[in-house]
Amino acid sequence: MAARAWCSGMADPLVVVLLRWTDARARIDPLSGEVESDPRGAGPSEADRCALEHGLRIAEAAGGRCVAVTLAPEEATELLRDALACGADAVLRVAVAPWDPRVPDSGAATARALATAIRAELGEPSLVLTGDHSADRGTGSTPAFLAAELDCAQALGLVRLSYADGELRALRRLDRGRRERLAIPLPAVCSVEPAGLRLRRASLPSTLAARTAAIPVVAGTVEAEPVTAHAARPLRPRAKELPAPREADPRLRLLRLTGAHEEREPPRVVVTDDPAEAADELLDYLRGKGYL
Amino acid sequence: MNQRYGDISFEDRMAQVDFRVAEEPHIVVDTDVCRSCTTKACVHACPANLFVPTAEGGILFNYEQCFECGTCYLVCDGGDAISWSYPDGGQGVVFRHG
Amino acid sequence: MRERAGPASTAVIVDQPRRPDFDAIVVGAGPAGSAAALELARAGHSVALLERGPFPGAKNVYGGVVYGRVLDELIPRWYDEMPVQRWVTRRQTMVLDGERSMTVDFRSQNWGSAPYNGATTYRAEFDEWLAGHAQKAGAVLVPSTVATRLLRTESGRIVGVRTDRPDGDLTATVVIACDGVNSFLAKQAGLVPGDQAAHTTLGVKETLALPRKTIDERFGVSANEGVDIEMLGCTQGIPGGGFLYTNAETLSVGLVLGLRGLAESGRRPEEILAELKRHPSIQPLVRGAELVEYSAHLIPEGGYDTMPRLVGDGLLVAGDAAAMCLAAGIWLEGVNFALGSGMYAGRAAASALAAGDLAGLREYKRLLESSFVLADHKKLRKAPGLVLSERMQRRYPGLVCDLVEGMFTVENPRPKPGVRKLLRASAKRHGVTLRELARDALTGLRTFG
Repeated sequence: MAARAWCSGMADPLVVVLLRWTDARARIDPLSGEVESDPRGAGPSEADRCALEHGLRIAEAAGGRCVAVTLAPEEATELLRDALACGADAVLRVAVAPWDPRVPDSGAATARALATAIRAELGEPSLVLTGDHSADRGTGSTPAFLAAELDCAQALGLVRLSYADGELRALRRLDRGRRERLAIPLPAVCSVEPAGLRLRRASLPSTLAARTAAIPVVAGTVEAEPVTAHAARPLRPRAKELPAPREADPRLRLLRLTGAHEEREPPRVVVTDDPAEAADELLDYLRGKGYL
Repeated sequence: MNQRYGDISFEDRMAQVDFRVAEEPHIVVDTDVCRSCTTKACVHACPANLFVPTAEGGILFNYEQCFECGTCYLVCDGGDAISWSYPDGGQGVVFRHG
Repeated sequence: MRERAGPASTAVIVDQPRRPDFDAIVVGAGPAGSAAALELARAGHSVALLERGPFPGAKNVYGGVVYGRVLDELIPRWYDEMPVQRWVTRRQTMVLDGERSMTVDFRSQNWGSAPYNGATTYRAEFDEWLAGHAQKAGAVLVPSTVATRLLRTESGRIVGVRTDRPDGDLTATVVIACDGVNSFLAKQAGLVPGDQAAHTTLGVKETLALPRKTIDERFGVSANEGVDIEMLGCTQGIPGGGFLYTNAETLSVGLVLGLRGLAESGRRPEEILAELKRHPSIQPLVRGAELVEYSAHLIPEGGYDTMPRLVGDGLLVAGDAAAMCLAAGIWLEGVNFALGSGMYAGRAAASALAAGDLAGLREYKRLLESSFVLADHKKLRKAPGLVLSERMQRRYPGLVCDLVEGMFTVENPRPKPGVRKLLRASAKRHGVTLRELARDALTGLRTFG
């Protein structure tokens, strides 16, 4: 594995940033449940924009190339032009048919199509970056499948990512405000949360150059595995088995099961007219949950 | 709370509009000037209701849900009380049915 | 310090660039800007088309109908490809007073087939379509980019614009400012006279969703036919008017309110709009519709007498930036004037570039004067004053409704009153002397005749 990593001094490490083309303001018809999306409003999510900024910085620090890749129909060309303008060395669109709501989601198929296209057009990547819940329709499974396809490490939920002295270090957000420090072996697939930094604003000269640049396209398919229906019946979730409490006394067992007398943080309703106080409450809450 | 049947609340009305909120405000109000303003025309003329008078006679302002129309600085009696500009390129209001 | 475009921004003094980046920069990819860029690109000049929104049309709102005839000169058979919601085949002028209304309703099926007349559209779609033509012709569209300041030489020649992007100065031989009603560029060039608030109105609009079939039934149209209603007397005494028009599956209903009147009234725009929507003539049309977008935009309604100077040294001004909006009561047009002025600006710039002499930019004014753009405005220069006058806004709607109500209320056994008597009585009731009535009628005749 180490032979593929850039820390071995191999020239021209390749950082691939996967950008998911999505309409963050799609409308859902309350009656039919139909999703209406508008290509004009579509673009990368904030997490993907963060991933691109990470990619640009890491490629710069490692003296490598940063390539933005999307798996999307032709309308997504604008997204790649923006990535080029921001400083991506190259871009690639893996062309797929417009979204058909009848075809089921498949993170595996998305990952396969991406891996095939990246290997064929760009070579073996040293690092693949993407926003959390990216690349496919937000199932969040693509990075894992992709790591399997590319046979490399995976890290997710990253809020900080830095590359120095041939080492990729990251900070991962855990629940309850905890953090996990990671040293990520390369090659790797990393997905980042929209936190810590914002995508840079593209300069005018690079924007102008990107406006007329040719955008390479390769054909890809995301044929999902056909779904076999074994039986059709109403959904009845199975009962969840819980181990019996250990207490000897039946009354204590009952109390344990109901959760009474147990120490926990009660829900609170905060009512305040003072904006500063309200802001403090919110900040405390976010800090408590580990978002800040 | 004097909302009539059939109307929607102002918040719901604004929630239908796509705003890409920039990091930095593109409206800044010098509330020292506002304190001496008797008309405070911006408060009711702004179609996005961004300006709120405070008890001390100043103005509390928002920039996030701005239509970028320019009404506020044109009706402002206080001369330079409202520093107004377009938000950064690509940010701000995005109309789909304009 | 971040670069921003606002009322306080000023031009930057620079040296004459040795080799400009582009032949022309067009600021604003609305109908004026895209028409200008299209003309220039077709003439073989390099053009940058700057747009501050993420896509053309993102910042734009209009009040009803696009009259595309002038597009015949730019895009043959434009009506076959333009994104149209409905073709207007029914046009109403409505005068409202209290719970009454008087409507003049005209329908022509001629407007429902080629070569058509007016269409309703969404600006996000229309503006993007036109900008697409400019791009196909070779113009470089640069979205999400604000032109913040003019670049000017010591001698006063405009040689480009500064944008809000890093490393953002862009130079050109000619700059065409199509940067909309607030036009900070025209102001920086010192071309805009006087008090803008006095002749600017605020337009607010609701787009309301209804099933296509319901719209067809309520408005008495079918297929792709649509209705445009212009209203007077629905603004609570604030100088202005109202409009309601049909899209394929939405209605757009809105108000135009004079800024000064609005500021003095103490009323909120959406409240006045809510009252219009409750009027017995409007309520049945919009009932049950769901709000899909609320929008607002300023409109330059002062007409010919309030236009800025249209030509500067190396600079042309077109569209709303040049106050090319015709608000003359029975005619309410803007997009067509933007298209026309942009087209002629592009044409004048192209020939000045080809001749290598910027004095040729003055040709722009002549092209406008010999066409509808300035001819209509000049002819109707008195119309905004008349339409927005106190009598027209506050007295005539009631007077008209009184008169018509008197004519059609049957008060048997009393015999019918004569029209002259009714007119005299309702004029008196609304504090209008017959002399004023005659004078306004004469002004109207002179203006519109």
